[in-house]
Amino acid sequence: MDTPATVSPRPGWWKYWVILSTRTQEDMAYRVNYVVGAIFRFLPLVTTLYLWMAVYKSRGETGGGTEIAGWTLGNMVSYYAFVYIARGFSSMPGMTRDICVDIKDGALNRYLVKPMSYFWYQVVYRLAHKLVFWLVALFTFPPIFWFIREAFTHRPSVLEVAAFVASLFIAFSIGICFNFLIGLLAFWFTEISTFLFVIMVMEFFLSGHLIPLNLLPAAAQPFLNYLPFAFEAYWPCTILMGKVPAGELGGLLGLGLAWAVSLFLACLVVWRLGVKRYSAVGG
Amino acid sequence: MIARYLHLTLLMMKNCLVREMQFRANFLIRLVTEVMWLGMQYVYLEVIFGQAADVGGWNKWQMVALLGTNHLVNQIFEALFFDNCARLVDQVRQGDLDFVLVKPANSQFLVSIRYTDFASILNGLVGVFLIAWAARQMGLTLDLGTVLLYALLVVNGVLILYSMMFMLSTLTFWIGRSSNLFELYYQLGQFARNPAEIYRWGLRVFLLTLVPMLVVSNYPAQAVARGLDLGHAAYGLSIGLAFFLAASLVWERGLRRYRSASS
Repeated sequence: MDTPATVSPRPGWWKYWVILSTRTQEDMAYRVNYVVGAIFRFLPLVTTLYLWMAVYKSRGETGGGTEIAGWTLGNMVSYYAFVYIARGFSSMPGMTRDICVDIKDGALNRYLVKPMSYFWYQVVYRLAHKLVFWLVALFTFPPIFWFIREAFTHRPSVLEVAAFVASLFIAFSIGICFNFLIGLLAFWFTEISTFLFVIMVMEFFLSGHLIPLNLLPAAAQPFLNYLPFAFEAYWPCTILMGKVPAGELGGLLGLGLAWAVSLFLACLVVWRLGVKRYSAVGG
Repeated sequence: MIARYLHLTLLMMKNCLVREMQFRANFLIRLVTEVMWLGMQYVYLEVIFGQAADVGGWNKWQMVALLGTNHLVNQIFEALFFDNCARLVDQVRQGDLDFVLVKPANSQFLVSIRYTDFASILNGLVGVFLIAWAARQMGLTLDLGTVLLYALLVVNGVLILYSMMFMLSTLTFWIGRSSNLFELYYQLGQFARNPAEIYRWGLRVFLLTLVPMLVVSNYPAQAVARGLDLGHAAYGLSIGLAFFLAASLVWERGLRRYRSASS
């Protein structure tokens, strides 16, 4: 990118574009690593599917019927497959850890002196990761989804697809903001690396990644279904499965958006408070 | 000779324990994390057995015994070997293996046993608790023979995990850096957590021979909760031995390709 020194000033967003393109190129340098990792990541899907097949089989043999909580085996398989799509937007591997390290060893100084927001830097950085992830996924997802094609018995309507796309945007926003917030805890606590694992496990469970939320005890559902985490996997998947009535889609997405905006505002506030405490160790 | 290696092991462990004791709170945090993780897995079992009476012929408490056994095997492996295997990759890449090779002891032993993670041993006890709980719920009375067979198969499971992971790390002599190997270990581990019976026969055979994840935790859990005949036990143990020998062989081969680093 050789540009003459006399060009007119770039627009404000240009710097973010440069980060996006550099980060994408960096990731692409490890593309073999990426592809291999992308294939390994489907191994848990294999065990999960076999497990549920055994559950449905045992249930059928003992006269328990072919549905669990109104879901057929096909529904269950589609759910766990769609979780991969949803988490492909909402999960931010390594993000909290990176932020903690930046704060703790003083590397944050580099960003503070730049005419750029650290929050938006992180957003663009993760966006680049997701771009590469989905570029690779274009090759790994279709064969796997084709392999289990019989499970996809529901043909989503245009409205459902649109709502699904919107829910993915919400999933990405909530994932970014939540992980950013957790990372900022490093301003107040020095040793939080193990705590990060607890948070990761919690997110894994509360998002419906491990178990679809509708299978959890009825008493917990009204609460769990409307936490921000449910929008990271459970809601996008069930929307695409056609399990959310058309009349409820608007309200549901509204709630998700409200969570995303609240978390975003929380990020801005906590960031301000944190920077005031920041002591720029090691600078 | 055995006494000498035992002495070396104890020395290295003592060295690690002294270091870890500087961060005692870490033990507690790790324990809380593991209990939380297992609690989640238990909820998963509760959900599943709320819908079906058995899974692949295993009832709920047999599955809890499997969960506990798998946890125990994995924690022992992580305590003794995981970190060492991970470090091996860097040692080879950066040429630090030189310091190991000049020492007058078996090099595979030295690189494999150097660092012990004591928090994992503590966490393994949570697995023992799960097994004891499951045994109690099933009303099992365990005779000495069963307990010994169980212990032997647990050690065998650790040996298999170690050998597979060690071979994966040793691949670094040929292919340079590959961080995905550890990801592969974690993802393959998922297969061990479930009863062998749920997999279709082709996959099951694969998981009993080439990548014997089903020998790792299924065999000991079966021995204690469902009964395991001696033929299967003997097969499991010979798989462990075969993988260990293969790991040593791959290590010897790999060393021949080692050419230190820089200068």
